[in-house]
Amino acid sequence: MLRIKNVHKSFGKNEVLKGIDLSIDKGDVVVILGASGSGKTTLLRCINFLEKADQGKASFGEVDLDLHQAGKKEIQSVRKKLGFVFQNYNLFHNKTALENVTLGLTVGRKMPREMAEEIGRKALNKVGLSDRYDYYPQQLSGGQQQRVGIARAVALNPDIILFDEPTSALDPELIGEVLGVMKKIAREGTTMLVVTHEMSFAQDVANRVIFMDQGVIVEEGSPREIFSNPKEERTKQFLRRILPEYTYTI
Amino acid sequence: MNGVGEFFSWSRFVDDIPRLLPYLPVTLGIVAYAIILGVFLGMVIALLRIHGQWFFQPFLRLYISFMRGTPMLVQILIVFYGLPIVLQALGIEANRWDKIVFVYIAFALNEGAFLSEIFRSSILSVPTGQMEAALSVGLTRWQAYRRIVLPQAIRIALPSFGTDFIALFHGTSLAFLIGVVDIMGRAKTLGASTKHALEAYLFIALLFIVASALLRLLFHFLDRKLSYT
Repeated sequence: MLRIKNVHKSFGKNEVLKGIDLSIDKGDVVVILGASGSGKTTLLRCINFLEKADQGKASFGEVDLDLHQAGKKEIQSVRKKLGFVFQNYNLFHNKTALENVTLGLTVGRKMPREMAEEIGRKALNKVGLSDRYDYYPQQLSGGQQQRVGIARAVALNPDIILFDEPTSALDPELIGEVLGVMKKIAREGTTMLVVTHEMSFAQDVANRVIFMDQGVIVEEGSPREIFSNPKEERTKQFLRRILPEYTYTI
Repeated sequence: MNGVGEFFSWSRFVDDIPRLLPYLPVTLGIVAYAIILGVFLGMVIALLRIHGQWFFQPFLRLYISFMRGTPMLVQILIVFYGLPIVLQALGIEANRWDKIVFVYIAFALNEGAFLSEIFRSSILSVPTGQMEAALSVGLTRWQAYRRIVLPQAIRIALPSFGTDFIALFHGTSLAFLIGVVDIMGRAKTLGASTKHALEAYLFIALLFIVASALLRLLFHFLDRKLSYT
């Protein structure tokens, strides 16, 4: 469904992505692990053009794109097929939860209001916020805001949803509710590309894990392969730091 | 109490009111033109400064620093004496123009500069994540501005805008310097002709106080109304 080849991106002198190849198939739940600065967030942002890659090609289904030279219309049409969930939620402060979810449909796709609101309500129900339609972001907790963010991405019915460290800005008590929603939609077959530090999600829900370090993909495989049988030294070092014991328990 | 009556009398005060009030529209007209043209100009400049190509920037910065760095008085005189010359070079004959047009232009140019800085900083205060989220759900930049960024920016700009508005109101009194008779100018001519200026100035002062208070209330109300957004 999504194939990315040879993505390079530098910020000034700092080369953050040094040639990334990645492919995602329908129904995949892919988790990207790595230390800060490994380029995982940049990679995600290059995929939906929040950053412009210096180099790289992508195929979204049938459509081929150059990541550096894509035009506005191409970018816009790609964005409609990709959902994005931000680390700090980025809900529209001046819109209610329901409006947040429906804006992409009514304005972005010129959908009639009733239809968009029905979809919006369904999405908000799915993330457990059926009693919060008319609340503004300031009136919601962090976990609730992030769930609205997920609903907003889900409502677009995208091919893939990109998650950029969705729980990193949350208090520990609230992480669970967001991970719960993510697990739910993963089990429903949503194709997801997730950058996270939540190992439980990688171990329990992902079907592929990618480990990135310093701008390159070091290793990739199934969760079991990566967590209980890592091949690369860098992967082992990372896992040692993150998990005291990284054996996969059944 | 004859001595004090020489300087101030309530009957002269009351007499002056109907002489002054007909000129209030002149003052309000200057404010209206300046604000409407200034908001438009200010928004265009702000967006150009944020998104426009690099070659716009030096000109815009020069314009803004001139407008903010020179006294309003000087700007009015420059526009009044200088603009007809510039226009003549372009083939436009400005000799017959009513003086007040120059006042409108001078204040509009000034407001445009000040407001552009207010708008620019308030737009930049809106977190970039708002625009990114809007783009990520498939909105165009323009749609994102219109529905998400600008509404929030306007709320942020409101206090500074209110202050600027009130300052504009006070500043219109300079129009008399080129002979445009606004309410302040009328007070001066009344003072010259009746040899008693204090009553007229007192009435104007009271008018300005009331107007400023009303404006402050208006902006306070607008600010409350935009809350919970």
